[in-house]
Amino acid sequence: MSGREHTGRGEAPREALRLENVGKVHGTDGNRVRALAGVSLRLAAGTFTAVMGPSGSGKSTLLQCAAGLDRPTEGRVFLAGAELAGRSEAALTRFRRERVGFVFQRFNLLPTLTVLQNVLLPAKLAGRRANRAAAADILARVGLGDRLHHLPAELSGGQQQRVAIARALVTAPDVVFADEPTGALDLRSARDVLALLSEAVRVHGRTVVMVTHDPVAASYADRVVFLADGALAGSLDAPTAEAVAERMTRLAAAVERGAAA
Amino acid sequence: MTGLALRSLRRRASAFTATFLAVFLGAALLMSFGAMLDVAGDATGTARNTLLTVGLVVGGWGLLLVAFAVTSTQSLAVRQRAEEIALLRSAGATPGQVARMIIAECLLVAVAGGVLAIVPGWALGHGVLALMHDGAMVPETVGYAFGPCALGVGLGVTFASALTGGVFAARRAVRGTTVASGDEAGGLGRGRIIAAAVLLAAASGEAVTTATVMRGKGLDAMATSGQADIVAALALALLAPALVGGAARALAGPLRALGAVGDLVLAGLARRSRRLAAVVLPIILFTGIGIGTLHLQATENAASAGRAASADDRSVEVLNLVVIGMIILFAAIMLVNTLVAAVADRRREFGQQRLAGAAPGQVLAAVAVESAVLAALGIAAGTVASAFTSVPFAVARTGSALPAGGPLIFVGVAALAVVLTGGTAWLAARRALRAPAVAAVA
Repeated sequence: MSGREHTGRGEAPREALRLENVGKVHGTDGNRVRALAGVSLRLAAGTFTAVMGPSGSGKSTLLQCAAGLDRPTEGRVFLAGAELAGRSEAALTRFRRERVGFVFQRFNLLPTLTVLQNVLLPAKLAGRRANRAAAADILARVGLGDRLHHLPAELSGGQQQRVAIARALVTAPDVVFADEPTGALDLRSARDVLALLSEAVRVHGRTVVMVTHDPVAASYADRVVFLADGALAGSLDAPTAEAVAERMTRLAAAVERGAAA
Repeated sequence: MTGLALRSLRRRASAFTATFLAVFLGAALLMSFGAMLDVAGDATGTARNTLLTVGLVVGGWGLLLVAFAVTSTQSLAVRQRAEEIALLRSAGATPGQVARMIIAECLLVAVAGGVLAIVPGWALGHGVLALMHDGAMVPETVGYAFGPCALGVGLGVTFASALTGGVFAARRAVRGTTVASGDEAGGLGRGRIIAAAVLLAAASGEAVTTATVMRGKGLDAMATSGQADIVAALALALLAPALVGGAARALAGPLRALGAVGDLVLAGLARRSRRLAAVVLPIILFTGIGIGTLHLQATENAASAGRAASADDRSVEVLNLVVIGMIILFAAIMLVNTLVAAVADRRREFGQQRLAGAAPGQVLAAVAVESAVLAALGIAAGTVASAFTSVPFAVARTGSALPAGGPLIFVGVAALAVVLTGGTAWLAARRALRAPAVAAVA
C-alpha cells in the first residue's frame, strides 16, 4: 500500500465522497421510474458506511452512481474532490481504476485468470508495472497466500470474495464500494469478509461504502445510512445489529403504509 | 422434458440462431445437389453420368461439411449454456432428462431449418441444372426434378447431423460435476484423434493417388484431388483445440509483452481452447477449400493453355467455380455465424473485464488480438490442407510440384478470412459492449 495513505493528523478529516442532490430516473418518457431523488451525502476518508433500505429503495443505484458505474440524471458526485460528470466511458474507466475498488455479491473475478493474475489485473490494465510482491502480500493478508495459482472456480465462495477484496484494495483506492458482499456467503465466510473490510478501514485507512440488507453486516460499519423510496431516511452512528434491525422494521412498515395510502 | 425444450427454445431463440442457420443453409445446399440425382432419373448416357457424379461427389463433400457445421454450432450452443444446465442438474434433473432435453432441442431446430430449406433448395437446384444446360453437359430435354433424393439427402443428413451433434453435446453436458469450471482446456479425446488420423490418411491417399496413378491423365486427376483439401481441412479442424492450445504456449512470450490485453488473450487461448476452436474450424475449412480449389483451377488453366479450351473445359471450370463458390460461401457464413454466437455470449466476461478496470478500447483490443491469432492459426492450417489438393494436382498435370496461380490466390483468400474474422468479431464485440458493465454481469 503506497501513496494515498490516510494521514490522520488531527485536521478536519479529508472528504472521500460527496453526493449533491443526486437523482436518477430510469426509462424513457412513457415509462419513467424514479430510483433516486435528491440524495445528498458526505463521507469522510477512513470511514466505513453501510447503506440500507427495503428492496427497491435505490441502494444499488446509489452505489453505482457514486462509483461512476452509472450516470445520475441530476445532481453531482465528487470522489476524493474530483467530479465524475462529463467524462467519457473510457475516461470514467481510467478514473475508476485509479480511485475506486469494487466488491460485488457475485465476486466477478475473471474465470480464466488465476487468483494472483486477477489481483494484478487492475494495475496492468492501468499500464503500470504490476507489483507481484504487493499482490502476493495482500493475498496472504486475506488468508490466500497458498492459493495464488488457483483458478476462481477452484475456490469456495468465501475465498473468491476474499480475492475480490484483495483486488479491490491492491490499487490503494480512495473508496471501496461493496454491493451485498456477503449476500452469497455462509455465516462464517461472511464474518471473515466483513472483518477484512473493517480492517481495511481501521488499520489501513481506506474508505468503505457497503450496500447490505443484513443488520449484522451493517453493524460492522461506523455509520448506517437508511434509504427509502430513493430518498435518505435517516442514519445511525455506531450501530448495533439490534438497533439496525429495529429501524429497518419501522422503515419497511412506513414504506408499506405509504404504498397503501 | 420436450415441453421444457420447447420453452427453452422460445425463450432463447437467439442462442439457437447459429445452429438454425447451419441446418437451413446446409440442407438447402445438399438438396440442390441431391436434386441432380433426381434429374439423373430422366437422363441417359453421358448426361446421366455427369449428373450422378455431380450429385454424389458434391453431395458427399457437402455432407461432411454440413455435418461438421451443424455439430460444431450445436456443441457451442450447449457449451454456452453450461451454467443453465448446471442449474437444471442442481434443481434435480437427472443426467438422462438433461440429455433428452438437449437432444429434443437439437431435433426441433433441425426440423425447422430443414423444412424451411426446401423452397430455397429447390430454387438452388434449378440454378445448378441451368448451368449444366448452358454448358451443354446435360441436354435441354432433361427437365428439372426435385424428389426423393433431394429431400432424402437434404433432410436425412441434417437430421442425422443434428441428432449426432445433440448426442455428443448432451453427453458432454451431463458428464462430470454440476459446477461450471473456469478451465475448459482439456486434451483431445481418443475418438477425435482417431477420426483425425483416418481423415488425414484418406487425404494423403488421395494426394498420392493423384500424383502417381493419375499423372498425365489430364482432367481426370481432378476427380481424385478435388476433395483431398476438404478431407485434410476436416482432419485439422478436428485437431483445432490442440492447435489453439499450442498457439497459447508458442505465443506466451510475445502476448505477455503486450501487457494486460495480452494476458487476457493468453488466458483465453489457454483455458478456453475448445470454445475458440469452434471459431478456428470454419477458418480452416474456408481457407483450405478456397486456396486448394483456386490453385487447382489455375493449374488446370495453365496446363491446357497450349490448346484452345473446349466447351467441356469451360463448363467444367464454371461448374467447379460455382460448386466451390457455394461451399466457400457456406464456410464463410458459418465463420460469421460461429463468431457472432461466440462473441455475443461473452457479454458477462466483457463486463467483468470492465469492472476490473478495462476500458472499452482495451476489451476491443483483446478481441482484436485474439481474432488475429485465431485467423492466423486457421489460415496456416488451411494452407496446409490446401496443399493436399493443389500440389499433387500440379504434379499430375504439369510435372512440377508448384501449383499455378501464384501467391495472389493465397493472399486474396487469407485477406478475406482475416477481414471476415476480424470484422465480425469487432462488430459483435462492440455490440456486446453497449450495455453498461454492471448490467452485463447481472
